[in-house]
Amino acid sequence: MNSKTTSLIGAALVLALALAGCGSGSSGSAGSSGSTGGAGATAAYDPDATIEIGSLYEPQNLDNTAGGGQGTTEAFNGNVYEGLFRLTDDGKVESLLAKDHTVSKDGLTYTFTLRSGVKFHSGKPLTSADVKYSIEKVTGPDSQSARKSSLSVIKSIDTPDDSTVTVKLSSKSISLVYNLSYVWIVNSQAKSLTTTEDGTGPYTLGAWKRGSSLTLERFPGYWGTPATNKQVVFHYFTDATALNNALLTKAVDVVTSEQSPDALANFENSGDYKVNNGQSTTKLLLAFNDRKAPFDKVLVRKAITSAIDNKKLLSSIWGKYGTLIGSMVPPTDPWYEDLTTVNPYDPNLAKKELAEAGYGNGFSFTLDTPNYDPHPTVATFVKSELAKVGITVNINVITADEWYTKVYKNRDFAATLQEHVNDRDVVWYGNPDFYWGYDNPQVTKWVEQAEQSDTADGQTALLKKVNQQIAADAASDWLYLYPQIVVASSSLSGYPVNGLNSQFYAYGIKKSGGRG
Amino acid sequence: MTTRRRVPRSATLIAGCVLAGLVLAVAVLSFFWLPYAPDDTSGDRLMPPGLPHLLGTDKLGRDLLTQLMIGARVALEAGAGSVLIGGLLGLAGGLAAGFATRWLDDTISALLDILIAFPTVLLAMLVTAAREASLGSAVIAIGLAMSAIVARLTRVLVKRVLGQDFITASRTSGTSWPRIILEHVLPNIWPTLSVNLALQFGLAVLAEASLSYLGLGAPPPNASWGRMLQEAQASVFIAPAGVIAPGVLLVVLVVGVNLIADGVRDVADPTRRRTR
Amino acid sequence: MTVYLLRRTAFLVVSLFLAAVVLFLLLRLLPGDPANALLSVGASPEQVAAARHQIGTDRPLPVQFVSWLGEMSRLDLGTSFVSTLPVGPEIAARLVVTVPLTLLAFLLAVVIAVPVGFVAAYRAGTWYGSVLSALSQLGIAVPVFWVGMLLITVFSLHLGMLPAGGFPQDDWANPGDALTSLTLPVVTIALVMSASLIRYVRSATLDVLGSDYLRTARALGSSFIGAMWRHGLRNAVVPVVSILGIELATTFLGAVVVESVFALPGLGGMLVKGFAQHDYPVIQGILVVSTFAVLLIGFAADLVQRLIDPRLRRSLGGNLSGDGA
Repeated sequence: MNSKTTSLIGAALVLALALAGCGSGSSGSAGSSGSTGGAGATAAYDPDATIEIGSLYEPQNLDNTAGGGQGTTEAFNGNVYEGLFRLTDDGKVESLLAKDHTVSKDGLTYTFTLRSGVKFHSGKPLTSADVKYSIEKVTGPDSQSARKSSLSVIKSIDTPDDSTVTVKLSSKSISLVYNLSYVWIVNSQAKSLTTTEDGTGPYTLGAWKRGSSLTLERFPGYWGTPATNKQVVFHYFTDATALNNALLTKAVDVVTSEQSPDALANFENSGDYKVNNGQSTTKLLLAFNDRKAPFDKVLVRKAITSAIDNKKLLSSIWGKYGTLIGSMVPPTDPWYEDLTTVNPYDPNLAKKELAEAGYGNGFSFTLDTPNYDPHPTVATFVKSELAKVGITVNINVITADEWYTKVYKNRDFAATLQEHVNDRDVVWYGNPDFYWGYDNPQVTKWVEQAEQSDTADGQTALLKKVNQQIAADAASDWLYLYPQIVVASSSLSGYPVNGLNSQFYAYGIKKSGGRG
Repeated sequence: MTTRRRVPRSATLIAGCVLAGLVLAVAVLSFFWLPYAPDDTSGDRLMPPGLPHLLGTDKLGRDLLTQLMIGARVALEAGAGSVLIGGLLGLAGGLAAGFATRWLDDTISALLDILIAFPTVLLAMLVTAAREASLGSAVIAIGLAMSAIVARLTRVLVKRVLGQDFITASRTSGTSWPRIILEHVLPNIWPTLSVNLALQFGLAVLAEASLSYLGLGAPPPNASWGRMLQEAQASVFIAPAGVIAPGVLLVVLVVGVNLIADGVRDVADPTRRRTR
Repeated sequence: MTVYLLRRTAFLVVSLFLAAVVLFLLLRLLPGDPANALLSVGASPEQVAAARHQIGTDRPLPVQFVSWLGEMSRLDLGTSFVSTLPVGPEIAARLVVTVPLTLLAFLLAVVIAVPVGFVAAYRAGTWYGSVLSALSQLGIAVPVFWVGMLLITVFSLHLGMLPAGGFPQDDWANPGDALTSLTLPVVTIALVMSASLIRYVRSATLDVLGSDYLRTARALGSSFIGAMWRHGLRNAVVPVVSILGIELATTFLGAVVVESVFALPGLGGMLVKGFAQHDYPVIQGILVVSTFAVLLIGFAADLVQRLIDPRLRRSLGGNLSGDGA
């Protein structure tokens, strides 16, 4: 039940507009990716194996600029479609379809040289016109892409010859290259992309049976290192239990992202499976409405942060998995630092801070709680923790749709629970118009300057300051960082374990032994 | 044909009362005493049955017995609420159709047929989408679905009563329709109707559990047996008590209510042959 | 019979139209903006307006209704707001799972219920007659999803005999695989459904067994089986058929819950997702198809019932007007 709505809001909450480091695109060789799961990476494998993948995120359609959602990214990103750049599993940006690129001195003109010999699945060779078309497809008026706003700095795109693309910006943007890693290069002549595809990736689309499965076939004309398996089948489930049952009964080989720790014991105690505890970028927030009393007071927000035992909460929800963060930045972002001690769990401190803020006798507030897991459970926990320091919580359960209207659009809330899935999204604290209404001019300025920086180091330094400031102000209560748990049959190796922004590169997966 | 040795009538009734009474007692008790506070998360996650948590704990470390006791309350509320809504609406609709002219009767019957074609789960989805996922929404949906069935039955019963001679006699002696309804129709249809309502009570409890299982019933943190089952499903091997206990209680309650319905029917209508 | 058929058909058409109106209005009365489903966080008011225009919810209700009726008359069920793909073909693809599931479960339930119900009635006084009755009592009280959960736990996870869920990618290309994956869901529905059927069969049989004409026939020297065959069966079948019509409809829609337990790509999953996303065309399409199916089943059941039972032939009858007063 819950996973459906989770994926819905997950798709809705692809909080784009992220700033990126890694501006200098070193041209990495194709086919090399970051960390991978599975121990027996060197063992003999079957090059013609079929990899059965279990997932909770079915594509809505196959076009990520037409609302395809998280599932489209998972199945297609890097597998069927490729960008000029690729975000590796450990969060680095490397060149893919762009062989090279240069940046003008003023930082406003980027020139990309395309890799030669690249063909679309339809057979047509890749040209600069396709790149221009693809970028404009994302920034165009009909685009529903979450990356649209982050690419709005692009002023014009020129194609001086078939293998060169020139992009002009209206202002400096150090994250342009990072953002381009989300732009799929599509054949400019392709039709009906919501049900078919024409990309350059190592796989072509076999069949898509809606509500059930999606099959990818190895593309024989691929320009780079061919996939280490012949076929990949994504099996879609709407219920985590059904998904785990499929893995237990060997109907699937690997689960892209476990959403509950309950079934993991079955896999941990068996030599047939490997449980990979990777890094995710999904943070669970208790977001205050920082505009409205009593949450306009820093001391009140700090008190609440100190009153909730995040460690116990995390272990209730995720058992031994997951990470405490203490701010909006997960460890995979370049500007991460451990800030869990800024507002430690300390109910006595919380009581003191409340008294100091003038709320010695406590108060009560309504917590708008999305109706899908884990929010209602977390709300129950928060309620019982805050009762201990004299604060009464009224839990108001709402649908994803209501959350979007009431909380996100109308800002009609006192506090809410919400998961924020994207990496590099600390920059939202620089936007005083964002739903949580955190307004600190200094932070806003730092965020702007960071995007204009000339070097990744400069950007990192500024965003670290942002991070420290929002933690000191307890802008929100960052309850915990989700774990990214990939469970796979022990006959598999070479699968991604971090699942950044829900991508899942399948081309390096190896299956040992015969088919089956 | 063989002579059937019949179970003494009251045995069915007694068995039903014992089973349903058990659940009722638990629900009543839950208002005065619970082993733990409903949202006390002090236990470890998924503790096995034993001490201090008799039946163990759920994912959040809440006491399972406490949740079950509150769930009994929710189940009974769901059953009673639905029967109240469904019974009143159905009775009104059925009486209207029963007394109506043929044309109006056909129209009401057509509407009833559509409503019956529209099963509880779909109706509940619409109601929850229009309102919110809550016990109230579930009860309204179940009540509405039930009202169509009750109305259909009432209509048939009313027609049967109206066709009898004593009604014609009353009419000719100048008795008003409201009095006829109160004095003749209701007393005559009540035995059959009440038995059906008791059966509907059991169905309503099951429907609420299914809706909660699908996430369309009372939202967390309110305990509902259906949602407890859904949540415990993932950990069936680690903590089987969470999957078994709510299911057993559901069956006990529904069997109990059904037995009461059968028992009442037998007592009220001794000539009736269907015992169970 | 011809008059009846005409009347009943006219009635069916009116019902279908009423159902369409009710569905359309109910969905439009729902709060929440379906355009939200198309947008991601950060959408501007212009984007919201564009989304509304794209899906047509910026037009007045009557205009939407007329254009929808027009589409339906061309058997076009519209385009999903969320996926931007046509709804009709997806429903058709999913019926490939839901229809066989319903029919198989229904058949199995009947196959279980008729002999068991008969024996429970015929041997009502004996210990196994009582046991059968008690079991059916239990069966009615069990939630269908719970049965599914227990069957999965035992037969899939413990014994590894049958898949825990899912359906072959190539549908019925390999009927063996398809049947294997439907086995547990079919058994789940059939077990629960047969319980209530058993009770109906049992009481219908009891009524016949106790009836005067059967006693008379027996007194006149017919064998029990002969008497049962000539007089009893027909009388027992009539009430059962009317119940079957309703039960078949219930099974079809009870599949919603069971499909979600067994992760089957049927109509149920599509519907649940449609509701979560406020995807009107999807919800509307499924509700139209399923409501029509249920009304058609009722229609068929009424006809069959009349063919069997001459006493009903005079009135609009049967299911519809009860005792035809």
